[in-house]
Amino acid sequence: MASLGTRLYLGLDASAVTAAGIGEGLGGRRARGFSRVPLEPGALTPSPSGANLSRGDEAREAIRRCVEGLGGSRVTLVLPDGVARLALVDLPEGADPRDYVLFRLAASLPFPAGEAIVDALPAGGRRVVGAAVRRATVAEYEQAAAGAGLEVERVHLAPLVALAALMRTGSSDTVHAVLGDVALCLAAFRGGAPAVLRSRRRDRSAGEATRLREVATRAAASAGDGAEPVRIVVSGAGAARLRRELGDESAGRGLEGPGEWPDAAEVAWLGGLLS
Amino acid sequence: MSRQPDFSTSPRPARHPAWGKLAVGAGLVALVLAAGESWRAGQEAGQARARLSGVRREVETASLRLKALDARARGATSALPAAEAPPARIVANLASILPGDTRLERLSIDYARGGALEMQVVARDAASWDRLLDGLSRAPWLREVQSGPEAREAEVRSVVRARWAGGAP
Repeated sequence: MASLGTRLYLGLDASAVTAAGIGEGLGGRRARGFSRVPLEPGALTPSPSGANLSRGDEAREAIRRCVEGLGGSRVTLVLPDGVARLALVDLPEGADPRDYVLFRLAASLPFPAGEAIVDALPAGGRRVVGAAVRRATVAEYEQAAAGAGLEVERVHLAPLVALAALMRTGSSDTVHAVLGDVALCLAAFRGGAPAVLRSRRRDRSAGEATRLREVATRAAASAGDGAEPVRIVVSGAGAARLRRELGDESAGRGLEGPGEWPDAAEVAWLGGLLS
Repeated sequence: MSRQPDFSTSPRPARHPAWGKLAVGAGLVALVLAAGESWRAGQEAGQARARLSGVRREVETASLRLKALDARARGATSALPAAEAPPARIVANLASILPGDTRLERLSIDYARGGALEMQVVARDAASWDRLLDGLSRAPWLREVQSGPEAREAEVRSVVRARWAGGAP
């Protein structure tokens, strides 16, 4: 199937900048190119408040190198796990989704609610996955891309891109762990839609798999499934290692990037875009 | 609430993919072509209706002419030019087949009705009457010979009708 147009996606996370050219054709999406440029530790620290790009020059240079050869100057930015507050929200009849999501999240935001950019992803019926991110944080990433000579068209959140794909593909009743470099999003699915959503910082020290199993079990119980062991589908940064630690019997493969680029396998948002 | 939420600080209208634009463009082109075809079909239909109307008028005209020609043809077949059957010739022909004991008292020739003959004849007796009728029926220059009611007193009187067929006795 011929590609009739290509969009450039640029994702940033603590460990690397990744870019992918996604061809959009009548037969669906397909990766046309992929690039990953590692970042030195501390150059980028995803956070809902405060500065994310402590070494902006380094990030801009990585962005510039990453998009070289992929073509195009207009990008869709994909912000990493850990910069936004997420919540599964049931909208009352007649409520504006953005206003109601902000109302529900306002108390938990580490910044003034007036500084939030809020949006919501439909999650079946009147349920949405709401997200709020600080305007200054978004601007920081947009300016980094602009400093690398790129024009930012849209800004997505990595966990929402992954969740949208899981809902689109009718995920079975299981717990999905979508991993970023510094944060993870845990979603217990029932009937193809998320029933419970958890978002938290990662602790990548020894025993992460055990801790992940505990939090997944609690999420599954909250979703109405107390059976053990809970089957966890793991996607994203370090997913292969965690699956090994969890054991093949209880851990499944989730969203994965295109196989022709080994570095793309653990980019969950890219797997989400292509699923 | 969008399908994939946008958290840009300054959101802009979604850029549609190239294939989407192409599809919309192709749809518009198809629409324009269809409209053009429809207009052209309408024009052709109008021209066809006009041609049909003209043909119908021609048919009506031809039909009227045919009727007129038919009437003239019928008139032509029923009429007999006097030049083709002069009374003297008819009388001479009749005289040639009249038996001796019969006489022709009156003869009328209607040329407008194709040479219809009406003959008032008198025969001395039935036998001569029969010979007369036999002679008239056999005459090649007569057809449709019909005898009228016979008055049989001492002699037979009747009117015989026939049509002149032409030819020599």
